[in-house]
Amino acid sequence: MAPQSLQQILLSPAELSYLHTSLSSNPPIRPDGRTATQFRPLIAESDILPGTNGSARICFADGTEAVVGVKAEVERSSGISRDVDGEGEGEEGVKKGRNEWVEISVDIPGERDDDSNPIFLAAVLSEALLADGEFVERLWINRHFHWRLYLDVLLLSPPLSYPLPLLSLTTHLALLTTRLPKLLSEKDEDPLFSDDWDASEPLYHPPHTSHPPITLLVMAVQETIIFDPSKEELAVADAVLAVSLSESPTSNSSSQDTEMEMDVEGGKKRNLRLLAVRTIDPPSRLTHKGLANKVNTATGGTAQKNLEDGGGDGEEGVWCPPRGGAKRGLIKEMIGRVLERGGVGEEVLDGLCGAEL
Amino acid sequence: MPLDTSTYSLALLRLDGRRWNELRRLTAQISTQVAADGSSYLEMGNTKVMCTVAGPSEAKGAGGVRLGNDRADIRVSISIAGFSGVDRKKSGRNDKRLMEMQHTIASAFAQNLFTKLYPHSTISLSIHVLSQDGSLLAACINACTIALIDAGVPMHDYICACTAGSTSSYSSNDETADPLLDLNTMEEQELPFLTVATMGESDSVSVLIMETKVQVGRLEGMLAVGVDGCKQVRAILDGVARARGTKMLEGSRM
Repeated sequence: MAPQSLQQILLSPAELSYLHTSLSSNPPIRPDGRTATQFRPLIAESDILPGTNGSARICFADGTEAVVGVKAEVERSSGISRDVDGEGEGEEGVKKGRNEWVEISVDIPGERDDDSNPIFLAAVLSEALLADGEFVERLWINRHFHWRLYLDVLLLSPPLSYPLPLLSLTTHLALLTTRLPKLLSEKDEDPLFSDDWDASEPLYHPPHTSHPPITLLVMAVQETIIFDPSKEELAVADAVLAVSLSESPTSNSSSQDTEMEMDVEGGKKRNLRLLAVRTIDPPSRLTHKGLANKVNTATGGTAQKNLEDGGGDGEEGVWCPPRGGAKRGLIKEMIGRVLERGGVGEEVLDGLCGAEL
Repeated sequence: MPLDTSTYSLALLRLDGRRWNELRRLTAQISTQVAADGSSYLEMGNTKVMCTVAGPSEAKGAGGVRLGNDRADIRVSISIAGFSGVDRKKSGRNDKRLMEMQHTIASAFAQNLFTKLYPHSTISLSIHVLSQDGSLLAACINACTIALIDAGVPMHDYICACTAGSTSSYSSNDETADPLLDLNTMEEQELPFLTVATMGESDSVSVLIMETKVQVGRLEGMLAVGVDGCKQVRAILDGVARARGTKMLEGSRM
């Protein structure tokens, strides 16, 4: 299970119960008045640092802010195994990447870089990025050299809400603006690059290649599914999922099993693909249970004799931290809501496309 | 500047085309982050830093023990992003150079802020270096000043910093050496330079750091140019803070 990232939220059992009831009503009533699928506004900038190959900055409405810088270095491939791979497959199959060519480091203020939380976040981000195996192929230069990509993800503010969506969206933007110098040398020569930055080639060519992945946070309270949860909403979540998705190139709409069905007449429809799903341990599990009035001596009740008895369970208006996992159907529904046409995944990608311009 | 000693004496222009007494483009933004008590973003040429202030807040030790004494404690942490330099480099937490910079900034602001007004509390400044091209310490100090103004921590006056160098290296004995203002990385690597910070418009120096060797006769010229540069920096920072103040007043009138 994923490590706990949030500091314990200081809400009383009564407040938690109130939040839980209002969120699980239909339609859900969120503390900030949003609808279930509405995102908070954000400020995004890209290409902010001339010293990097690609960079981006995003500020969320709650004040959390992240900067991502991408640096690329040329590195000599460790030869032996590569030659062996290459020989067998012939010329076409030679272009093969390796996952260790991409290095992601997450820096969260107040936490050491070997703490479990930054490592977990970096793992989720790289998992989504490397999921299709096609990304690392683009780092291949020739049989002896490859690009090594360093993604440094900096969270500049204290982690107020679970920072994963913020970091993922910032990484997405940074990767979209990443450019690599144009290669002048041919085949297996030592690589020589054009020093004209205007001639450099983007790492991602959105119409032709897939988009970089994004990871979104989805939470469920009973049957209600909520997107972009705030810190308070996470405190009463029954289940939290981190769903990673990306968009496949529109040109070759081959029907793979994992891809969403493309509509025949759909001209501008996005072709979303699920890459990875992780469950996040909701902080609600660490909250304390509420006491019903009839077992609370402060309100004139009689104290419970047996503490193990768990009196007041399931009584309406009394907070009880969620136990056990989420139902399969619910998880399926949560993932479906992200990927469906006209759903949240498309909306976020559309929004990010606007930011590039 | 062995690379262009000849060209400098010919045209009196530096590598990036500036004259000896010109600053690089200095821009600052105030209040860039909503979540922080105070924040700022500052660019000095290609050196870009962000500073956030948390506090003054209650000082808590391990296990919630109340710490501190009759004045606020100033804590500075600098983190240098891996992508900030030319080559990607991850700097460790216990980098001696960083620790010295943190100490310099903390002690400079301990003099300048009215820390007596906040007993038993902490003001923590965290600085993120996004891109470095010389004058790093100066940029950090300037960013801290702006962020502390945003946080509303009372202070005597602005602390403004810049660097000054000299065109002659330590051993060469040329009489015509010019002092230079606001050095970039290439110049910092070649030439002797110092970082100076002054309090407001006065000439009182609050920080003076020099890590390279220079003939003592050149020091006075360098210092004079540096102090003069600090005044230019102050005018720019003052403009930023005033623009912010005007905007806030307009907002409150609505």
